[in-house]
Amino acid sequence: MSHDLAHGGSPIQRPIDAANARPVPFRGGGFRHRKLGIVSPIVFAVIIALWELGSRSGIISDIALPAPSAALAAFMDLVHTGMLWKHLGASLYRLVLGWTLGSLLGVAFGLAIGLFSLARAGLLPLVSALFPIPKIALLPLFIIWFGIGEGSKVATILFGTFFPTVIATYGGVDNVDRNLIRMGQSFGLSWLSIVRKIIIPGALPAILSGFRISASIAIVLLVAAEMIGAEFGIGSYILMAGSLFALDQLIAGVAILSVMGLIISWAIGRAERYFLNWRT
Amino acid sequence: MLKLTRRKFGTVALASTAAAVVGAMTLSPAVAADKINVGILSLASHSPSIIAEERGYYAEQGLEVEFVSFQAAQPMAVAIASGDVDFGLTAISGGLISLADKGVIKVVGGALQEYDDIEGQKVIVSKKAHDEGVKTPADLKGRTFGITTTGSSFHYMAHKIADKEGFDRAEIKLKPLQKVPAVIAALKSGQIDAWSIQPNIADNLTSGPDVVEIGSISDYIPNYQVTTVFTSTANATDKQDLVKRFLAALSKGIADYNAAFVDKTMSEEDTAELVKAIHKYLYTDQPLEKADPQIRAGAMRFNENARMNVASIEDQLEWFKSEGLVPEGVTMDKLVDTSFVETF
Repeated sequence: MSHDLAHGGSPIQRPIDAANARPVPFRGGGFRHRKLGIVSPIVFAVIIALWELGSRSGIISDIALPAPSAALAAFMDLVHTGMLWKHLGASLYRLVLGWTLGSLLGVAFGLAIGLFSLARAGLLPLVSALFPIPKIALLPLFIIWFGIGEGSKVATILFGTFFPTVIATYGGVDNVDRNLIRMGQSFGLSWLSIVRKIIIPGALPAILSGFRISASIAIVLLVAAEMIGAEFGIGSYILMAGSLFALDQLIAGVAILSVMGLIISWAIGRAERYFLNWRT
Repeated sequence: MLKLTRRKFGTVALASTAAAVVGAMTLSPAVAADKINVGILSLASHSPSIIAEERGYYAEQGLEVEFVSFQAAQPMAVAIASGDVDFGLTAISGGLISLADKGVIKVVGGALQEYDDIEGQKVIVSKKAHDEGVKTPADLKGRTFGITTTGSSFHYMAHKIADKEGFDRAEIKLKPLQKVPAVIAALKSGQIDAWSIQPNIADNLTSGPDVVEIGSISDYIPNYQVTTVFTSTANATDKQDLVKRFLAALSKGIADYNAAFVDKTMSEEDTAELVKAIHKYLYTDQPLEKADPQIRAGAMRFNENARMNVASIEDQLEWFKSEGLVPEGVTMDKLVDTSFVETF
């Protein structure tokens, strides 16, 4: 019927006025990110320049905030004495080990919760109950359980990254398009094939954004982890600077953490581009 | 030309009567009550300040005191630097010296001190270390020692032991654990070998099976000025009268504390009353009967009239400099204002 209407010619025939024809503008596009690589360095540079200016002119007192140049000098001291590598090495070891173990376990538990009803019924309440416990509050217990060596430090980061990863992973599994799974089933794919070829790739965007969060949490927890008997490490350096009220060293340490965060964010961005190129 | 209407006269008359009444009620009518904030930690070593408040010594000096509780000495020092808190009592730490170097706080009096005749801070070791042969502080060479933070009084004590026993400071392996409860947990479970702490906590630990006492700090740091009274530089320079009045009131609290708990010359009745007053602020989570022995136990002497052992403070400052924990340029003048109390 509608076809008839469309083809039968509309009752009003407009004459085409070629001279006055307005071209219809293209209204698509937008809502798409352009790459403006130059903007972020400018934002950083402007903030740091304003800060330095404020410190030099005395508007920002050096008790409130040390000048960026003072922080840079503290950082250069670290480089010259070679302590930077000792601190970085100790921290990276704890970060990589704790985060990797926490993420692997988190993805495994998350997949189990996403795929098996029994695991969901049994583990999900447990995760919900343990996630909000501040790991710092358990520090004295961690000392007894894991010792004051590397154990308690890695454990703090492991526990901190495990729970967000579990939640991100099972959330991702839950959000995989059911139609795709049904399609796989109607094509006669085995259970394992569906998991491997549909569910895991489908959950990957959520898992990777979970990694983004858990990696940042791992850096945040580094300071907490190195509260316990750490001689070296960026976190222990920051704590020492805080207890000595050496604000230039404090800012230098915090800046190192924030650079670590930038690098990790960049690396996960690369991983997203590689693993999620099916998304285009 | 001053015109005095009847209404105005009434107001003036009323105001002067009120002033007279208030003046008659307080002991120092000339001074309106100054509001000050005093920082305290929940430790027995802050009792004199509590006594001064509860017995009205602050009020006598025209001071209206509000106590501000802190978990550690470091944030208290920062709060005094920012002007949120006026006075505090704490050990000399790296943070305190750094703030003094920036010209914002000053040490104005002495508080807790080690005396030969009074039981002072103790060196304690875990049972495990004791079994392995750590029987005296000289055996601490190559052992781990718990500290809260770098530049804390524990750090200083550990190094002083090494200096006196004649081994390298680096031979004591320091373990920063941030908080006293964490150090206690690590010591009890044998994760660290040794620690030094005020007698009330040490006695509590050695009464259990996990910790053994092996020496006392006064053998290594005689007359150690453990804690000091400090205030902001602004108070010390612009409000000298206020600082004097605070120290006068605190001194009376100190005299009571020494009489009650150190010399035990005070009558049992008065002492019990003091314990009750202190219990309003300390060990509040425990009933009075349980808190009572803990408040009385292991009291160390406070310097009368907040006298200050400048020699000991200088020794501490030199140690901080020798370890590179504070800027080289800090001088005693920057750290200490000796104009308020007797020094020795």
